[in-house]
Amino acid sequence: MDFKRTEEQELLLESLRTVYERGDFEEYFKECDRNHAYPSKAVEAMVEAGFSSLGIPEEHGGTETDLLTQVMVAEEAHALGWPSLCWINFSTEVDDILAFGNEQQQAQILEYALQGRKPFTLGFTEPQAGSDSAAMATTATKRDGKVYISGVKTFSTSADMAPFMLCVARSGVNENPYKDFSMYLFPMDREGVRISKLDKIGNNMCGTFEVYLNDVECDESDLVGAECQGFYQLMKNFEVERITICAANVGMARCAYDEALRYAAQREQFGKPIGTFQLIQEKLVDMRIKIENMQNMLYKAAWKKDQGESVSIDSSLLKRYTGKAAFEVIDDAMQIMGGIGYVNDCRISRLWRDQRVYRIMAGTEEIMVHTAGRALVKEAR
Amino acid sequence: MNVVACYKVVPDAQDIQAAPGAAPDLSRAERVIGEYDLMALEEAAKLAEATEGRAVLLSAGSSAVNDTKLVKAALSRGAEELFCVVDDALESADAWQTATALAAALGRMEYDVVLCGEGSSDQYAQQVGSLLGSMLGVPTLNGVSAVTAIDGKLRVERTLEDVVETVDVPLPAVLCVTSDINLPRVPQLKDILAAGKKPVTSWGLDELGGLAATAVEVESVLAPQDAERKHIIYDEVSDEAIAAVASAIKAAR
Repeated sequence: MDFKRTEEQELLLESLRTVYERGDFEEYFKECDRNHAYPSKAVEAMVEAGFSSLGIPEEHGGTETDLLTQVMVAEEAHALGWPSLCWINFSTEVDDILAFGNEQQQAQILEYALQGRKPFTLGFTEPQAGSDSAAMATTATKRDGKVYISGVKTFSTSADMAPFMLCVARSGVNENPYKDFSMYLFPMDREGVRISKLDKIGNNMCGTFEVYLNDVECDESDLVGAECQGFYQLMKNFEVERITICAANVGMARCAYDEALRYAAQREQFGKPIGTFQLIQEKLVDMRIKIENMQNMLYKAAWKKDQGESVSIDSSLLKRYTGKAAFEVIDDAMQIMGGIGYVNDCRISRLWRDQRVYRIMAGTEEIMVHTAGRALVKEAR
Repeated sequence: MNVVACYKVVPDAQDIQAAPGAAPDLSRAERVIGEYDLMALEEAAKLAEATEGRAVLLSAGSSAVNDTKLVKAALSRGAEELFCVVDDALESADAWQTATALAAALGRMEYDVVLCGEGSSDQYAQQVGSLLGSMLGVPTLNGVSAVTAIDGKLRVERTLEDVVETVDVPLPAVLCVTSDINLPRVPQLKDILAAGKKPVTSWGLDELGGLAATAVEVESVLAPQDAERKHIIYDEVSDEAIAAVASAIKAAR
């Protein structure tokens, strides 16, 4: 067994650190966080250095690479302090559309993804349909050769900036909801689309929206993939999505840990560095154990996926564990920092606000028990 | 135009431990490409591109030069091929010995212009480029802050203390470029992957006439001793106060 990164991975991470250092982004991110602004200057620098092309097939203008390398890059970016929900690689979104979209949809999505812009906001969750996705009520109704979409979507990320929505709606053909969802891709400036920003506690650099769809007129060609297959199509990449999200968890935890560790080694109270007190050391040690565990689980899951093995259980375990463990690490980091950690000038306060949602979004940690628990018991039968 | 960029493999300055009065400990230092040589690599790639020519790299040093990660790091920056002189005797080579090895290697290569950085990031003697030019018997300039190819020659800017000099240089030539001549590119994954497939030619010193005799005898390399701060404050603006400061500095040297 070999835990060493490849030379290519090491050099790629060095390139990432160079872009980050040259950009001197820390103050900029602070300003964007304060102003609830998208960090476009930093995004442009990362795109120029090629990081948005990773994992997108070469024939579509990207650079092919395995999931493990992509995960390492995303983790490192967050460990350096890159704001969560703002990472500029959309290879999963591209893969969705390359797998199921028509040629025009593919071209549109690739154009934005290669520029590091989120190509579409996902219209999935609805006010009454969170974990219970079967309760989705948005409808796609056919009338005079067109399709009209109506309903309310919520927690749609970057709906103000994404040029398209990938919307899941009921076709009204099958009784079983899972066999009735269809996927449509339409521009956000289409008539009948209205957005309303949600005022949330963190992730200020990435807006989250309610999206009201009122008889949004679509052509048959706006359908993505096959009618009534929308739910299964979306499931193609949900494990990869989970693994990628967890890379941010590990990165944010490392970012907070590194800062708290440096502080503990320097900050003096009662005539000596606070890092010499065992109560602080215990925190640091437990934080480090959690980081090692998270990283090992993350890399192993990505590696398994790259080997073509099933990660249905692994991705659920990973999502449940890293969400909680990263939160605990960041929370302990804040505790070590004392009052300084609670003021917005300290990066740890942002991590503390921002990471919390990773325990909720893209499958709550309770749903992860549901998915992994059932599968584990089934395996043992 | 055939462009050769030279670089040195050096210990990463961040990893060097140096206790006051002791020899620097390099044992934990990772090897990297000299910080100022990166500008020579970048300028070579740009010049080759502008003249539809070819950029290659040249390095002389210990076996660290052949480290596959460092080779990929070097070749991911635009050049097409690497030539190197590898011998552990070059680990502690002085500027004369290094320049002799580079000149011997260049005797087997095609070149119109050879680019060096302004100095190595370990010794920073700023000698190798100028020595190399004189050994090759070609026009040699340092302090080069801009290079343009015009009609088979190079127009070069040198930023001097109070003037920017423009010089037309016939080829072949050796140029030492300043650290602000460009901002070196950040290699992308596709560059890094391609670098692993580029050709590398490695010569031993025995093939190139051996190690030159050294003209320098190194007695010791030591980090400075810590000095106690004197805590003398001069807050008066007068000729006497200035003279007092000056004599205090002279006395401390």
